[in-house]
Amino acid sequence: MLRPLKNLALTALLALALPVRAQTGGELHFCLHGEPKTFNPILVDDEASENVRYLTGGVLIRLNRQTQALEPALATSWNISRDRRTITFHLRKGIHFSDGTSFGSEDVAYTMRLLMDPATHSTTGDSFRSGEGTVQVQTPAPDVAAITFPAPVAGLERLFDQAVILSAHSPKKEMAVLGPFYVADYKAGSYVLLQKNPHYWKRDAQGRALPYIDSVRLDIQRNRDIELLRFRRGELQLINRLEAEQFERLEHENPAVTRNAGTGLDAEEFWFSQSPAAPLPAYKKAWFGMKEFRKAISMAINRADLCRIVYSGYAKPAYGPVSPSNHFWFNAALEDPKYDPQGALRLLMQAGFRFENDTLKDRAGNRVEFTVVTNSGNAAREKIATMIQQDLSQVGIKVNVVTLDFPSLIEKITRTFDYDACILGLVNTDLDPNGQMNVWLSSGENHQWNPSQKSPATAWEAEIDKLMREQATAPTEKERKAKFDRVQQIVSEQQPFIYLINKDVLVAVAPSVVGAVPVVLDPWAFWNVDTLRLGPAPDLGVQK
Amino acid sequence: MRARIQRVVGRLLMLAAVGLLGGLLSASLVRFSPGYGVDEQELDFRLSQASVEAIRNSHRIHSGLLSYYGHYLAGAIHGDFGSSQWLQRPISSLIKERFPVTAKSALLGVSLAWLVALLISFAGVFFRGFYFDVSTTLISAVLIALPAAVVAIFSVYLRAPVFVAIAVVIFPKLFRYLRNLLNHAYSQPYILAARARGISQSRILFSHVLPLASPALFALLGVSLAVAFGAAIPIEALCDSPGVGQLAWQAALNRDMPLIMNLTLLVTLITVAANMLANIAQERAL
Amino acid sequence: MNTGKLRVFSAVVLCAIFVLGLFAGTVSPYPYAKQFRECPNAAPSSAHWLGTDSLGRDLFARLIYGTRVSLLLAPAAALLATMLAGILGGFAGLVGGWCEKVILAATDLSMALPLLFVLLALRALLPLDISPVLSVMATFTLLGLLGWPSSLRVVWAAAKNLRNSDFLLLARATGSRRSRIIVRHLFPNLRPVLFAQFWVSIPVFVLTEATLSMLGLGVIEPLPSWGNLLRGLEDISAVSANPWRLSPLVLLVLVVICFQLILPAQEETA
Repeated sequence: MLRPLKNLALTALLALALPVRAQTGGELHFCLHGEPKTFNPILVDDEASENVRYLTGGVLIRLNRQTQALEPALATSWNISRDRRTITFHLRKGIHFSDGTSFGSEDVAYTMRLLMDPATHSTTGDSFRSGEGTVQVQTPAPDVAAITFPAPVAGLERLFDQAVILSAHSPKKEMAVLGPFYVADYKAGSYVLLQKNPHYWKRDAQGRALPYIDSVRLDIQRNRDIELLRFRRGELQLINRLEAEQFERLEHENPAVTRNAGTGLDAEEFWFSQSPAAPLPAYKKAWFGMKEFRKAISMAINRADLCRIVYSGYAKPAYGPVSPSNHFWFNAALEDPKYDPQGALRLLMQAGFRFENDTLKDRAGNRVEFTVVTNSGNAAREKIATMIQQDLSQVGIKVNVVTLDFPSLIEKITRTFDYDACILGLVNTDLDPNGQMNVWLSSGENHQWNPSQKSPATAWEAEIDKLMREQATAPTEKERKAKFDRVQQIVSEQQPFIYLINKDVLVAVAPSVVGAVPVVLDPWAFWNVDTLRLGPAPDLGVQK
Repeated sequence: MRARIQRVVGRLLMLAAVGLLGGLLSASLVRFSPGYGVDEQELDFRLSQASVEAIRNSHRIHSGLLSYYGHYLAGAIHGDFGSSQWLQRPISSLIKERFPVTAKSALLGVSLAWLVALLISFAGVFFRGFYFDVSTTLISAVLIALPAAVVAIFSVYLRAPVFVAIAVVIFPKLFRYLRNLLNHAYSQPYILAARARGISQSRILFSHVLPLASPALFALLGVSLAVAFGAAIPIEALCDSPGVGQLAWQAALNRDMPLIMNLTLLVTLITVAANMLANIAQERAL
Repeated sequence: MNTGKLRVFSAVVLCAIFVLGLFAGTVSPYPYAKQFRECPNAAPSSAHWLGTDSLGRDLFARLIYGTRVSLLLAPAAALLATMLAGILGGFAGLVGGWCEKVILAATDLSMALPLLFVLLALRALLPLDISPVLSVMATFTLLGLLGWPSSLRVVWAAAKNLRNSDFLLLARATGSRRSRIIVRHLFPNLRPVLFAQFWVSIPVFVLTEATLSMLGLGVIEPLPSWGNLLRGLEDISAVSANPWRLSPLVLLVLVVICFQLILPAQEETA
């Protein structure tokens, strides 16, 4: 309870300090955690490129990361037709791209054409796809664009937050941008340098041009410890998401720089392979297909210990697909299951398992033993696996842990299905569950426990299919929410994914950065980059 | 003269052949390693089924190994080395960007390591004694026992440049070989005789010991260059130095066959060339 | 005289560590995998002599069990690699000709090849539910089989030197048989080089295993080895706060130094 209060006080202090101390200009310096694979906003699919896209790209509608509400950006207003297939934007006038090319409805049309081109295979474009057919864009005036989709799209306006507008005419192509910064320099493997976009449309309340900062230097740095070292030395002003252990240590040293934005959207989850194509013995398939077995495993895992030990307390136990910080979609009516190894054992006995000499055996006398795979190089996941190993040994189950490098792991879970159980994280950038269609539909590629089914293997999967399709076309958000609440209920009864934890969003912000308000939504620490300022003296920032 | 040209041409051909063989072998290793043709993007649930299919198909282009190799050779003749599957950029530009970084750190690292190793070994010859021996043994033993990864982490922590880390990694091995070589040379009967006759230490070292040890020294020079390039891979990957080593590590983790093939070709060429130069020097010396 | 004492001392230390590793089961106060969840990252105390790791496992228990794995398997891999290097390098150096060229080219090649993939393929070929001990042994065997190239050139250079040396000419001239030359003259003369290579490669294999376990190819949890204990060092700023985490590194350095101090004895007897 103290921490949010402290942060609040800090924010208030910073807000007070702003008019006095802060000034415009300066360079904000922080790290990307991988090589940005592309600067073309249409093709972006990795986190580093997504960060650059957020910093450089201009969109029609912006999702306010703090209020979780939509705000006008390049479009001053928009409306959706009654059949919910057409969205009409009224665009801001007199706007220019970073290279001086003017912006108009033709650019919107051009962007949508590229996005929806079936040959592009853009993650952003694919989220707009709702049915067969093409997307039409009308441009009745230079400041009006109407986009018509072949079928209604659930949560349509929100999707435009990702659709960065490209210039149809600029000779610089995708390097001409409408966002607060543009890419001025890039050295592969080393850094990306962003300069202030002189043509950025947004102004502050006093009418001064934004952003306040002149440039942003993004170092490409995979090693988080090096990043922390450099932050400590004052070379970096921001760490966008710290590991819990690092956060704990930093907070110990200098509580003024650490900020916990609260429980994030990402979850770590555990699942058993239920694919009929898996080359596993029949008795194992029988266990994994058993609802009681999965529920017992879920009950026998001590999530509170996971949070406390693996994440130093900076995580919350997770029981369902929606994080509690996703206020609208979280199903608060569902009861949190308790950690209860004895109850798990009772459940297993009822399902026909036998507990003899501290080992669990099935009806036929096979010892219950399975292997959990996870990706190597992720210390937290390896620890989770090792802890689950000890938790399950208490109900007589022997667990082996194997770590594989990512490509080998993906091959196993998507191609050969030669694995018993897997622990992976679900990266969730989207609040709306419609984005997870491919996870919940039994025909989906990302329906990890049994992907790409011709027809649903179980009655409950069939029901989820139906509910997911219905929520996509339901006319009101309230009805959609009712459908998805039911999906969450089925998932908690069946435990196809055993959710483990939701990590807190942990960031570090140097005192010299004024106005930073880290939030749980991507991009966490710098979502309001255009209004960030740099204090005059890095070491004076907070105290004044 | 003619014979010499023939020899040089023969050596260059050999170099090219070994390099290409290396490329082919590494391409096959990648091709048959688990997880080949898998893209992390497949797990992105925002992608539609059609897009996932398309990503999978894009990786199948290279699955015919021999035809891929044929294409590669045909392209390479025209100076086109293909493009990276993972970064979607031409490989020649990737290597052009990064090779100078690695070459500089490797060369500086090797020079530093040799300088220090030679100085200490020569000093050992002049100040033979128990404490000197034990302390140098201890230092080199501690350095040998330090994992390259730990050296890399320390170098980041202490803000030392990458070449210092490379030097620290190769120095102890270098030093041990050097000292053994010198000890071996000094135990030769005619050197013992020379010392008995009272010839000065430096004269013995420079006109008797070094010529005797020089073939092995040159072989060692070649090896140390090759080792430096080998050590650069983990060190650059850990220090995030934007060199070939970091690129190779990333390429391996992403199963980027064209990139790995070209990088192997490059590293093979460097290793073989370094060793060849060592051999030539050695033959001259004999 | 001084050196002799030092040598004896190192030998004693090595033996002690080795015995400790062999009898880990009786020496260790706890099983290596037991998690004391109420005290993760604890400082050394009378209950946990070296403190606990981030999951609350007793570090002392893990260290001595890890010693067993590493001190048995790394030397085995080093022996395998040195033998291969000795045979191939000795052969190349003594026989010369195209044989030498081929062996050297193969060495250069295998030093440049991304052998990481061989290890990845091995891990994928092994079934997932294989016991940790078996998978460790497979990994170390492969490391030994792949580890010869780095020693080969040194052995080869030494062998070549020998071929041109006077006493071998003499031996040949006096009509000694080939096998006799190899056993009586070559091997004893190559021995110091081979020993040096052997000792030098032990830590190399311990460390390679450490790197591999980061890739999921090394010793798998919960079995400890020096390699995966060294992974605790990755987080260097945590180490400066809890210096006892350095204990695996200290042990490794100690063992390597002892090996090195013993080494001159063999050199002199050669």
